[in-house]
Amino acid sequence: MDIAAMRANFAKAAATGDEAPLYFYSHLFLSHPETRQMFPVSMAHQRDRLFSALGDVVARVDDLDALVPILQQLGRDHRKFGTLAAHYPAVGASLLATLEHFDDQWSPELAKDWTEAYTLVAEVMTAAADEAAEQPAWWDADVVAHETRAIDVAVLRIRPRAQYDYVAGQSLSLETNVRPRLWRYYSPANAPRPDGLMEIHVKARDGGPVSSALVRRVGVGDVLRLGPPVGHISLDAESDRDLLLIAGGMGLAPLKALIDQVSRRGPARRVDLFVGARNDDHHYDRADLRRLEQENPWLSVTLAVSEDKLSSLEHGDVGDVVMRHGPWLSREVYVAGPGVMVDDTVSRLREHGVPSRRIHSEVFAPSRPGPSLDGEVTE
Amino acid sequence: MTSAPNEPGNDDRGLNPADLHELRFTRASMLRPGYVDTEVDRVMSRVAEELARHIAEKAQLRDEVRALRAHVEGTPVPVAPSEQAVRILSSAQQTADAYVAEAEEFSRQMTSEARAVYEEEVRQARENAGAIIQAAQEAAAKMTVGMAGADAGARSMEELEEQVAYLKAFGQACRVQLRSYLEALLSDVEKEWGRADPALLPQQPARAPAQRSSRDAPDDSAATFYGNTAAEAPGASEEQEGSPATAGSRSAP
Repeated sequence: MDIAAMRANFAKAAATGDEAPLYFYSHLFLSHPETRQMFPVSMAHQRDRLFSALGDVVARVDDLDALVPILQQLGRDHRKFGTLAAHYPAVGASLLATLEHFDDQWSPELAKDWTEAYTLVAEVMTAAADEAAEQPAWWDADVVAHETRAIDVAVLRIRPRAQYDYVAGQSLSLETNVRPRLWRYYSPANAPRPDGLMEIHVKARDGGPVSSALVRRVGVGDVLRLGPPVGHISLDAESDRDLLLIAGGMGLAPLKALIDQVSRRGPARRVDLFVGARNDDHHYDRADLRRLEQENPWLSVTLAVSEDKLSSLEHGDVGDVVMRHGPWLSREVYVAGPGVMVDDTVSRLREHGVPSRRIHSEVFAPSRPGPSLDGEVTE
Repeated sequence: MTSAPNEPGNDDRGLNPADLHELRFTRASMLRPGYVDTEVDRVMSRVAEELARHIAEKAQLRDEVRALRAHVEGTPVPVAPSEQAVRILSSAQQTADAYVAEAEEFSRQMTSEARAVYEEEVRQARENAGAIIQAAQEAAAKMTVGMAGADAGARSMEELEEQVAYLKAFGQACRVQLRSYLEALLSDVEKEWGRADPALLPQQPARAPAQRSSRDAPDDSAATFYGNTAAEAPGASEEQEGSPATAGSRSAP
């Protein structure tokens, strides 16, 4: 396999920007019309993702140790989209046609190399998908409660119809039939429960098709589809250090799940939760947090507002407010929220002297449409 | 006749050429030279049957071949789509993408403007309410100090309290009104989005009744809505007074 030639060939297609993926999808849908229904109406985001994913694969094509796990993850992830083994050759044919179309020096050798490489990629992905075949490709979950907590925030309670195993702090992707083929990430705000119920916090982003549908159109009796759980916030089973949890906005959900985990499984430890929001109205879950605080003597909850001078809550950015309390040097720290808030808080904690290895953070950004190759998870 | 054509077992496999070759008819009697008529007749009729069967089978096979050929020609097997087709679909897709993006952008603008208006109104209402309450309290203090008659003082205190309660309720009502107005605005935006999203059109009828009922029957949606607001109300109004009971900050140990 002439990897250098393949990279040069791929670079030509990638250099066209949107042209190449546009050609690829049109070619695919024309030669295999049955694949169209697996994609959303608007393909704009999809096109961005395809070539960045392919680019990652091409970049690592000579580093199989790094590439194989990525492909396996991709293969498993694609099950929820309804991808079948039969779809892989179709995609391969259109990919080759695209690479040929944008390269005026296309040669039979390149065609042969790409066919070989693609066959390998497809084999790894289908094998990983087959291995995961004992668990469902997706889970149907019934919406059993839908509560509007603020003008743009809703708390949904959903119950998967089949057993859904996850770890407190993880996220899952979900799709509603009101916005077909658009998957978004949310964190359950509770640890796994015997009755399977999950609490999902959703903020309607301005113009966000899925989030606004979940807040304003989905209701009790609707069915959501869940993808397998992903994500990296979780409690270290070995540690029983006291916890400091810092949430900004919708970053509250995974941290509330950690509190639930401590109260269900232990070990006993002090937990301090700080929640920042712009104003009083944005503290959509405060009643439930107060209830938790009253029921659990080891838990203390501090709410802060950054833009509300009349509020009786603590004023300031949540990172600021955290620093007014403390010291936190002995704590295991979890930070979740918008990017700016997470960066700000983490750097303050470092200055404060908390070792980096004990600071866990997750950025919750609006609307990232799907799983990236690096498995990064956002809301 | 050595190889009788109607021997048992021969019937199943039909008449084959070897049968005919090996066929020997019995000589008729000395009086009547030639083969036995009955045997010849029987063989002839069998040959006729066999021929008919072959002809029928041939016709059936010809039909089958024709059907298969049509099937093969009908399916677009790995015939690569033409450049023109790819171009047409690409530009159709781009048009669709542009529409969806436009709808999303429109919805984004509408909601963020609505939100800004809402937040500003709420902020002002709160400030006003705070100012009014403060002024009322100051006036009350002045009155109780200035008035000698304890009875009259108590009455005016009562009046003031009534007034304060009224103002609080008024502020709450304003909030509720504002909220439901914005909800309606947002659901309009949602509807526009749905219209701009062609894939949803078939689902629209199924969804429509629910939407309509929530708009046409305000008691229904409003009931839950007021319910929510009412549930939040005591907390919210207490905060406005700065009651320490709901002060959210707790210092950590």
